[in-house]
Amino acid sequence: MALPRFARPTEGRVIAGVCAGIAQTLAVDVTLVRLVFALLALAGGAGILLYLALWSYGSSTRPWWALLVLAAGVLLLHAFGLSDRAVGGIALVATGLALVWHRRGTLRPDSRRAYAGLALAGLGVVLLLKGEGGTTTLLPPGAVAGALLLVAGPWLWRLAVERDAERTARIRTEERAEVAARVHDSVLQTLALIQRHATEPRRVASLARRQERELRGWLYEDRPLGDEQASLVAALSAAAAEVEELHGVRIELASAGDCPLDEGAQAVVLAAREAMANAAKFSGVEQVDVYIEAGEDEIAVFVRDRGSGFDRAAVPPDRRGLAESIERRLERAGGRATVVAAPGEGTEIELRLPRRRP
Amino acid sequence: MTPKPRIVLVDDHGLFLAGVRAELGDAVDVVGEAGTVAEAVPLIKELDPDVVLLDVHLPDGSGDAIVNAVAPDRPGVRFLALSVSDAAEDVISVIRAGARGYVTKTISGPELAAAIERVAAGDAVFSPRLAGFVLDAFRAGERVGGDAELDELTPREREVLQLIARGYMYKEIAARLSLSVKTVESHVSNVLRKLQLSTRHELTRWATEHRLV
Repeated sequence: MALPRFARPTEGRVIAGVCAGIAQTLAVDVTLVRLVFALLALAGGAGILLYLALWSYGSSTRPWWALLVLAAGVLLLHAFGLSDRAVGGIALVATGLALVWHRRGTLRPDSRRAYAGLALAGLGVVLLLKGEGGTTTLLPPGAVAGALLLVAGPWLWRLAVERDAERTARIRTEERAEVAARVHDSVLQTLALIQRHATEPRRVASLARRQERELRGWLYEDRPLGDEQASLVAALSAAAAEVEELHGVRIELASAGDCPLDEGAQAVVLAAREAMANAAKFSGVEQVDVYIEAGEDEIAVFVRDRGSGFDRAAVPPDRRGLAESIERRLERAGGRATVVAAPGEGTEIELRLPRRRP
Repeated sequence: MTPKPRIVLVDDHGLFLAGVRAELGDAVDVVGEAGTVAEAVPLIKELDPDVVLLDVHLPDGSGDAIVNAVAPDRPGVRFLALSVSDAAEDVISVIRAGARGYVTKTISGPELAAAIERVAAGDAVFSPRLAGFVLDAFRAGERVGGDAELDELTPREREVLQLIARGYMYKEIAARLSLSVKTVESHVSNVLRKLQLSTRHELTRWATEHRLV
């Protein structure tokens, strides 16, 4: 902790302006300060030494003032009638403290000077205990506690402050690192990939699209609808993002209404995902439109592409995606899948599932 | 052949403006560009274009501020909102201010050109997402007072919107519902009118509750 410096004003000074400076810094009347110093001067001249000490403190960077303060303290205590031993003990404690506190901003527990100070202060405490042991019973434990508090208190306090500061700094650094890692893992990688694939527009578009989704998800991840587990629309958005990434298509998702993701809704999501993947793989176009309507009575999902379409009869029976993953899955859940497709006219798969009343 | 629509682009992303210009090519006549609300308002008033292609977010305000400032002086100027934002509150405020349509920035060049022509002709343009949002906001059975005609969608309008949400184009919708394209367009325009004039508080409530469509 940095002790406050004070300036000695050139105006209104009597000797060196120390009292005036202190009065200014503490915002009290200068007469009061002078009165205190005069009273202290009566105590064996302590006020005079203190004045000199503060003069030195205000005008020199060398710590002579500390010695003067020590001497002033000794005089003061003598004036109050304490024994030589007690005064000596207190002086040692004070010196120890001064050593511990020295170089205030850079104190570390491993500082040799600090250990010397602690030893000195301890010695002073011992001296105090021996000196006053017979006469008063309260002083020794009080002195020990006081001395320990004086020595360790500021130190502990400083450690706590430093730890807080370090923690804040660490949190900030970690946040920065996280942002940097995100940007590096995602945006920078994507930009690098885009540069490498600059001649393949389809790939570039899909890379940019994926990055966009990811960045949006990250920026707005605390949005209430962002929980994949919770709602039909959120789960379908996540499925659409996966298909986009896997097959390099663009999926436009529109929705009216939403509902919780129960077992039936999950079947719809899985079937819709398969439908999107099929559209991406076989339609030959780059865009798939998905519309989700979740009403009171029914969930309906439409997956549509404007691609090549297909002839249902021409699909080999071993291609199980459509029949097994879409139609049968929805039937098991109590719903129905309809495929509207003709060669050259695109495909639309319609998934409908009645909602059970809770 | 009608003359090419004269359009003004308002967007603060120079790169995007350049891209749009290139994609639109000869389909339209870009007469001006602006990057802020303060630039755009006097420019649009001076040029009096057919269509303003409007970013919803601008550095010094939002797109609806431009619509509100220009519309009283230049009622003939039509606005098409174009945004990366899917946030419902952005969409709904610019539509309710008077924009004739809303499309996302991922729209392809030819589709954008078609949307501009449609808006220039006085029709409305809805993206699938906007259609989904409108259907959600106008759900049946949630009406509380207000003007019944404005606060409900007809079954036909609902059907048209559902097909838009499913990714169908006007021509495809017309074929599927055995209507003319003109009828489909008028259904969509009616929906737009309801969207702009309806007092349904779902419209505002929905927009604040659902931060994204």
